[in-house]
Amino acid sequence: MFTIVEKPLDVGALIQDAQRRDCGAIATFVGTTRIDESEGAAVEYLEYEAYRPMADRKLEEIGAEIEGRWDVRYVSIVHRLGRVDPGEASVAIVVAAPRRGPAFEASRYAIERIKEVVPIWKREVWSDGYVWVGSQVGTRDQVTGVRTFRGMDSGQRIPWRALR
Amino acid sequence: MIKVLLFGAAADRAGTREIELPVEEGVTLAEIWPLLAEMHPDLAPMRDTLAFAVNGEYARKDAGVSPGDEVAVLPPVSGG
Repeated sequence: MFTIVEKPLDVGALIQDAQRRDCGAIATFVGTTRIDESEGAAVEYLEYEAYRPMADRKLEEIGAEIEGRWDVRYVSIVHRLGRVDPGEASVAIVVAAPRRGPAFEASRYAIERIKEVVPIWKREVWSDGYVWVGSQVGTRDQVTGVRTFRGMDSGQRIPWRALR
Repeated sequence: MIKVLLFGAAADRAGTREIELPVEEGVTLAEIWPLLAEMHPDLAPMRDTLAFAVNGEYARKDAGVSPGDEVAVLPPVSGG
């Protein structure tokens, strides 16, 4: 199942859906919203938006890539949009495989690929403004400061020049 | 006409999420960009960070665009 939702994720139900008699491992990755603080300000919540249906299709493509690389029997990726409060899940990846190695590797691959190719964006809403992660664009006074670059170290950029 | 969709920081900077643009058959993304940057000058500094999609798939700078196509302006993605 590859899907995008606008409500809280039921991770337990997603794991149950992955249980299979021919699999000895279910690997789960859950991305949750982290609270950053700096100089008296804090992130209050994150807000996600997506380009649909391209984002849905890219999730399916990641699933197909995984099935071509590893012996896995079930892959599920669910990403949440809209406001996500601190500590809540924004993405859940569940992979079932006969053996644990491929399950671990495939779930790691899925989250890395999401951060590279799936057209989803998050905005940090701070107590004193907001910042688009990865673009360093927002309303915070210190928007050019180092602390707003948090999203730029994960290799998710696909610059125009790279596509030239 | 083509429909240009903007997302995330690009929508923020342009102050809009959708732009209708009159174009002729065979124009490329590289030729469309200056039109967008002229309409919305705050977009211009983002140029090197942006990717583009045509009809829902990543497209290169030299990709052709036809009337009726949907072009998307995509800032660095930050899902997860």
